[in-house]
Amino acid sequence: MGKGKPFLEVLASAIHEDFRFPFLELFAFLYTLGTFALANFTVGVYSQMATNEAVAYAVTTSLISFSLLIFLILVFKNIAYGLGNELEKGIIQTYFSYPLKRRAILTAKLLSGIGFSLLLFLGIQISAFYILAPDIVLPQFGTIVLTYAASLSYPLFLSAIILLLALKLRRGGIGLVVGFILYIAMSIVSGLVLIVATATKSPLVLQIMSFISPNYALQYHYGGLATVPELSLPWTPTLYEATLYVVGSYVIVAALFILGYTYFSRRLNL
Amino acid sequence: MSLIVAEGLSKRYGSVVAVDNLDLSLDEGSVTGLIGPNGAGKTTTIKMILGLLKPDKGWVKVFGQNPWDNPAIRSMVGVVYEKAFFPAHQKTLEYLQRVCRIFGVPESRAMEVLETVNLQEASDREIRALSAGMLQKFAIAHALVHSPKLIVADEMTANLDPQARSELLEVVLQLHKDEKVAFLLSSHILPELSMVCDSVAIINRGKVWAFGKLTELYEKYAVGIIRISTDSSYALEAEIRKKLSYVKELDSDIRGISVRVVEGKEDDLYEDVLKLAKNVKAKILGIETGSASLQELYRMAVSGKESG
Repeated sequence: MGKGKPFLEVLASAIHEDFRFPFLELFAFLYTLGTFALANFTVGVYSQMATNEAVAYAVTTSLISFSLLIFLILVFKNIAYGLGNELEKGIIQTYFSYPLKRRAILTAKLLSGIGFSLLLFLGIQISAFYILAPDIVLPQFGTIVLTYAASLSYPLFLSAIILLLALKLRRGGIGLVVGFILYIAMSIVSGLVLIVATATKSPLVLQIMSFISPNYALQYHYGGLATVPELSLPWTPTLYEATLYVVGSYVIVAALFILGYTYFSRRLNL
Repeated sequence: MSLIVAEGLSKRYGSVVAVDNLDLSLDEGSVTGLIGPNGAGKTTTIKMILGLLKPDKGWVKVFGQNPWDNPAIRSMVGVVYEKAFFPAHQKTLEYLQRVCRIFGVPESRAMEVLETVNLQEASDREIRALSAGMLQKFAIAHALVHSPKLIVADEMTANLDPQARSELLEVVLQLHKDEKVAFLLSSHILPELSMVCDSVAIINRGKVWAFGKLTELYEKYAVGIIRISTDSSYALEAEIRKKLSYVKELDSDIRGISVRVVEGKEDDLYEDVLKLAKNVKAKILGIETGSASLQELYRMAVSGKESG
């Protein structure tokens, strides 16, 4: 027996299942549509922006917004439904008969379910930037990277929660339903945050929320999407503070994934 | 050398004790059957042996190592689950070629194992398009890819038709004979196990009721058993129950009746059975003493008799 490539083969098998026809084609189309056709580049809005950084931030969020939803749907499909189903049906048991550590199997599943989806998302986004807004890519590279990091943190946070749910529930269908309920609940909470902050005249809830979705901090740092004089913002973090929220949110995301890995490697009884 | 050694293995699911202080060992080159009624703890035991479940107490070693998250063991063990599941949208041959690359064996091995289980004609079919029986055959082919030294199979023949079952048992015997592959086979189909196994572990309520070489177990548990072969076992059984008060235990199947009588009454039984057979017009094909079958051992275990 020679030396096999169990990790690469399990990864290839996972990608084959997660992105079988027509999923790859459909989601690539939706990403492209969301990025190129639905980006909201309203010239009037940008003309009111105070700084070039704010313009770069606004352009980036416009490009990202619809595609992030597609990314989330794809991750829900791959993790909540895909991994949950594989745990339920016993395909993971089959993977456990290969000479591979449990954590490597989970890594292969996550690289396929989340990593490959992210690669697709970023690939189309980067292409879009060079085509639609080539003038701001290099001068505002830092702002763009920070905006991507801040925007992706929340979907990754939800992905980690979905992963934990899938591992615990081990049911594809239920995992998907619970995932969507969670997403809707979080969206409602996010909507209420600004109301609470304005009513209490305290940025505390916004600050807490920024650890989960640091795009809030960045959004308030850049003064909202437009500098509307009559709009008084409840919170104006500095760039340094906003960056700390981004870092903090990734620490939370990393902790959740580590929890998932620990459970999968040490506790998951099949 | 023992390929599997388990000592004091215990596992609970909430308040239910699935496996209770179980000891087991499986020697190199042996074919051991794991038998017991539903819920006896067979699958839980197999899952602990394969490192899918952590025991609450006790330990298990496979090839001298803890099987939990241990890739080294998996190169030496082939696994067949009761319900086989594989990535559904891949073709059988392509997936087995992938498994060959996983284990580092030549890809030509994929077709060889498909031929071994007589599934070569389905080589171009997606796994999801296989029937339950074909899927089970595919699972066996999958377990053979890396030529393991030990195959652990949980209800391997459960979904197969009689023809496929006998073909598969041939495969087991062939692998055992030619390549000295050891097997741990859990099954409910006792005649099959008695055909291929040289040892059995009979489990009931999470405990090993009896474990050893089949011949030794037959000898040990057959004392006092008289086997009456007849063409009308159920009618004769009813008659014996009614008329012979010295019969302590009675079990029947379609081919005959197993009887245990109080000591000293063995000779009476021969005469009485012949008379009763006449009454119910049953043909006696033979009467043997000291002969047990796996079926009888199983019945003893399930009826809760004390193990020796």
